[in-house]
Amino acid sequence: MKNIREKLSKFDFSAILAPVLFGVFIMILWQTQLLHKLIGTDVFTLPLPGRIVRIILDNSPTILQNTGATLIAALGGLLFGSLLGYLLGVLAAIFPKWGSGGLTIVSAFNAVPIIAIAPILNNLTKSISDEPQIRSMVAKILVVTLTSMIPMSVNAYRGLTNVKPFSEDLMKSLAASNWEIFSKLRLPNSVEYIFTALRISVPGAVISALVSEYFAEFIIGVGRQIRENIVLAQYATAWSYITVACLVGIILYVLLLIAEHAVLKKRR
Amino acid sequence: MFGRKTAVEPRMTWEKNNEAAVGAEIKVENVSISFPNTANGEIIEALRNVDLTIERGQFISLVGPSGCGKTTLLRAIADLQQPTSGEISVRGQNPRDVRLQKKYGIVFQSPVLYDWRSVRRNVCMPMELMGLPKKHRTKMVTEMLDLVGLLDFGSKYPKELSGGMQQRVGIARALAIRPEILLMDEPFSALDEFTKEKLNEDLLEIWSKTKTTIVFVTHNISEAVFLSDKVVVLSPHPGRVSAVVDIDLPRPRTLDIKNEAEFGALVAKVRSSFEGV
Repeated sequence: MKNIREKLSKFDFSAILAPVLFGVFIMILWQTQLLHKLIGTDVFTLPLPGRIVRIILDNSPTILQNTGATLIAALGGLLFGSLLGYLLGVLAAIFPKWGSGGLTIVSAFNAVPIIAIAPILNNLTKSISDEPQIRSMVAKILVVTLTSMIPMSVNAYRGLTNVKPFSEDLMKSLAASNWEIFSKLRLPNSVEYIFTALRISVPGAVISALVSEYFAEFIIGVGRQIRENIVLAQYATAWSYITVACLVGIILYVLLLIAEHAVLKKRR
Repeated sequence: MFGRKTAVEPRMTWEKNNEAAVGAEIKVENVSISFPNTANGEIIEALRNVDLTIERGQFISLVGPSGCGKTTLLRAIADLQQPTSGEISVRGQNPRDVRLQKKYGIVFQSPVLYDWRSVRRNVCMPMELMGLPKKHRTKMVTEMLDLVGLLDFGSKYPKELSGGMQQRVGIARALAIRPEILLMDEPFSALDEFTKEKLNEDLLEIWSKTKTTIVFVTHNISEAVFLSDKVVVLSPHPGRVSAVVDIDLPRPRTLDIKNEAEFGALVAKVRSSFEGV
């Protein structure tokens, strides 16, 4: 308890005060409809915050169900992608001759937009199951896997190879085996880099999940609901899903930062 | 690719090193080392025809300007660098065998601590590689941290320590496996003068307790004279031995010795062998 209080007292509140005040200011403009006058729109296209919150509360079971589907796609893909990416990083570190060049090619895939990958993977996975629900989820997870694999592989490779000068000599002078050099030096050295990768891939996974839902056969997920409701001109409902999408992204990112702090605080 | 775990007999006490055995500990015979420059691929002749004999339990310093190959020579003794020609033997064995028996302790220019390990676990690391029992490791870590005066800092992490303290952790780590040969590559060159002199004194005290053979690389003449039994002066382009100066100052030495005429004369003697370069 004392520890928490000490940390809070050290925390610089003025740093977050300005952005919070700015946010509150915008919300007041929005709720009082001054914002609508400023940007020349109406409450039908841009519903008031109060109404958006009410819709979220009134439809919470449906929204939760869609959020769940999005989370499965985002987190599932993030998990597989990160594991696969780390494995690629390990392979590249073991075979550096092929590795560094190979990873350059892999990171070039980063330039391919999700909107291009999603429909292709959707088509490729058509025969995977008779259940549209399952094959759609597989397609979505695959999209997220691809997008989170790339930053993880590049950063894992860096973390496994960018060791302090002389630390490999130290291990060699102690006649450490390759496995010992890997497990006692390279692996722990890469942990910091894993978090660098996750800082890119966690928000990326949420975005990829939302976008891939647009193209999925089975209609579910926060991203898909945004689109469906805009098509039906139910802007208030669409806005409540947009709000949920933002919340999902922010909450996952904050959880990542907390985990990062817990794991890395000692070594900084 | 991941292979082989050598079983190494734990050296539990200093006694093994205390056998006041006299004889050649390290013999460097006609060693030349060349390697390509990483930047432009030009061949660098780091050492040419170096001969050197180091007795057991001696404190030897290799001094010389940058580029004289003193670090290369140290690395060759440690089997981190292969001689192009000539031969190095350590206690009659080749350096590779000695390295595989984990008999070397090395202290590098930078502390090379693992940021993710506490001070205690850093000191412990080499003993983990040797497969020593946990009870022995804990005991040795405490003993070593006490020796370098960092017993209260065991649970700290490297980033929380000053440069001098980090370097002392590096020394504790090198000593923890009771190395028969301690190789130190400009261990204090990054530190300020006060910290350096304090650590010099500490090092002599540690050495007097352990009687390990020490090969110490430095470009600081006064440091070399203060510490050593013998100062080996290397000259650059290509690196070769230009003089060997015996330092017969009495031991134990304290920093006060630096004010004495004898000390000044020895420093001058070492320096003059530089001028002949």
